[in-house]
Amino acid sequence: MHPISYFQAAVLGLLQGAAEPFPISSLGHGVILPRLAGWNIHQNDKFFLTFLVATHVATAIVLFLFFLKDWRRIFRGIGRSLRDREIRPDDSDARLGWLLVVGTIPAGAIGLLLEHPLRSLFASAASAAAFLMLNGVLLLVFERLRRRPPRPDDYLGDSDARIAKLSWRQAIGIGTAQAAALVPGISRSGITMGGGLLFGLSNEDAARYSFLLATPIIGAAGVLKLPELFGSDGDGVRGPALVGALCAAFTTYLAVKFLLKFFETNRLTPFGIYCLVAGFICTVLFAFGV
Amino acid sequence: MTKNRKLIVPAVLAGIVLIVIGVIYVAEPAGSLPSFFPGHEAGSGHHHVKHALLAFVLGIGALVFAWFQTGPASRSA
Repeated sequence: MHPISYFQAAVLGLLQGAAEPFPISSLGHGVILPRLAGWNIHQNDKFFLTFLVATHVATAIVLFLFFLKDWRRIFRGIGRSLRDREIRPDDSDARLGWLLVVGTIPAGAIGLLLEHPLRSLFASAASAAAFLMLNGVLLLVFERLRRRPPRPDDYLGDSDARIAKLSWRQAIGIGTAQAAALVPGISRSGITMGGGLLFGLSNEDAARYSFLLATPIIGAAGVLKLPELFGSDGDGVRGPALVGALCAAFTTYLAVKFLLKFFETNRLTPFGIYCLVAGFICTVLFAFGV
Repeated sequence: MTKNRKLIVPAVLAGIVLIVIGVIYVAEPAGSLPSFFPGHEAGSGHHHVKHALLAFVLGIGALVFAWFQTGPASRSA
């Protein structure tokens, strides 16, 4: 018998794929849902971690393919800058590429060192619900403290060129803050989008930067753990993991497409309210022993 | 990016040292690591692959930084 059924895998895959780009913490939802549904699946179960590897790799692949044109430009830009030994002021592709690199390194380093202890410390659904509320507060604070309100000309011209105006310090700051998402309930995309808003990006540009920044970190985390999926830890999980990965790929695509359109005219506020309400309801339910 | 030629040698040295540290983490089990290395555990046969990866990435980062410092004097960005 599989430790995770195909139905559970499909539901968790659909949820993971949708919740990863949304600023609502996919990991938090992945911890809370099994508890609410009464499933015997826990965040630190080896088979569940292996299952998550597959869904994360699928999410990263979809994000990469969705922004393939941008990634081609970014890779060419990085290549040009290495050849010339400088980032030309007018080369926004190169600058964006290096901003993504310097944003990814601190998050990757913190993730490598602290992932396991943080997961062990905050493994319960109750703590995930509490941190989900905190995530909601953070999203509302980001919108409140954003450097400037949305303007009609926000969406004119090249989005990547606007993002590339972030400073190195800002990119490192946003990248480092991503590590907070190692705690279930805190959203990686929420933190990066919020950071973008604080540093003067529009909602759409902040979302775009968040998705670009997500791809290497989620992809690397998944690829690093792929041996577990194909090793003995993956026994009995590979079938459901494949189903979960396909479902995650499907909803990631829809979620990214939706969010890029959504943030043309909307803000993080609805997601902040959702996290506050959902986190509060779950906290109350868990307090009453659900 | 502001160029500072004085940083080239320290960055190259840091890059090489970090890559060597990465190699040591790959080659030696936790029990055989020098005692001042993070992750040293007497008698452990575990290999700290994550530590190795981190050291490699930071080492390459330092070398890339040094490479950019050797470039032409910057135009204002």
